[in-house]
Amino acid sequence: MEEFRFIDLETHTAFENMAIDEAIMLAMKDNHVPPTLRLYRWNPSAVSIGTFQGLTDEVDVEFCKSRGIDFIRRITGGGAVYHDYNGEVTYSIIIPKGHRLAPPDIIESYKILCGGIVKALEYLGIEGEFKPINDVNANGKKISGNAMTRRHGCVLQHGTTLLDLDVSLMFSILKVPQEKISDKMIADVKERVTSIREILGKEVQVEELREALKQGFSEALKIELKPSRLTTEEQETAKRLAQEKYSSHDWNFSR
Amino acid sequence: MHEASYKVPGGKLVKAKVRVEAGKVAEIVILGDFFMHPEETLQKIEDALRGTPADEASIERVISKSLTESDAIIIGATAKDIAKTIMLALSSSD
Repeated sequence: MEEFRFIDLETHTAFENMAIDEAIMLAMKDNHVPPTLRLYRWNPSAVSIGTFQGLTDEVDVEFCKSRGIDFIRRITGGGAVYHDYNGEVTYSIIIPKGHRLAPPDIIESYKILCGGIVKALEYLGIEGEFKPINDVNANGKKISGNAMTRRHGCVLQHGTTLLDLDVSLMFSILKVPQEKISDKMIADVKERVTSIREILGKEVQVEELREALKQGFSEALKIELKPSRLTTEEQETAKRLAQEKYSSHDWNFSR
Repeated sequence: MHEASYKVPGGKLVKAKVRVEAGKVAEIVILGDFFMHPEETLQKIEDALRGTPADEASIERVISKSLTESDAIIIGATAKDIAKTIMLALSSSD
């Protein structure tokens, strides 16, 4: 079975997390590292926005500052995601262009890689399904959002799987005019988004989701996960990107 | 700047902020939760749109040309959807 480098569940700031994903791409571009799967959490909890979104259009920056929630622009498209430290696990998978798991067709690519999430949910006893363009649904509701970029000679896909969901906190973080937040809107979101704990009706722990994601990706993608870590080169690149790019006002407020 | 959002049926949300001067696009920002590969193409589209006559056909043509030149693709929207969003912004009052 093909081997992947596996960087097991780690906790970082938003800036470090996004910098590490890009640092891995840059190292892979130079053939310095093999295909890689990472699992990570965000501390402080943070909101990430899609690369084409307007930060102040999407995020209530003042609210986030008052609650110690970080905000960051991703290099990937897609929408705004709230990464609660206790409420989700994020993965990223980085593979060279032309790899069997990264066909030219984008939707097909999402489908293949999201297979890891579908399988992970199955381990937890949840029937999930890929929902084009970039979601995984369970019970007809979104439980995982994913986003891909193709650059530096690589394909990077990262995504979140929801363990828990606090809709009213989400509405405070994301910019929805307060007067418009009605019980109806909260109900609407609950109709469209779900979480592992909601479906199973029990306090599934981060550790269980981590184990399920590990198994799920390994089995669905037919890869053997070899526990490893970032190279010194990657760590240095990540440190530089976190400082100079991802925590900068210029990057985060560029749209 | 005039602003409008358009949810593409079966696709993503496109948002445009635009200002027109003497019938031509003077300022333009295109936003949304769609995907574009390579991502830098969106900046090129915005650059190409400045100075373009503010009619839907011209705008769509410029967007399509930029996409072709960059060998780029959009997922969750089309050049037509973006042009439509820009026209919606121009016809809005805010």
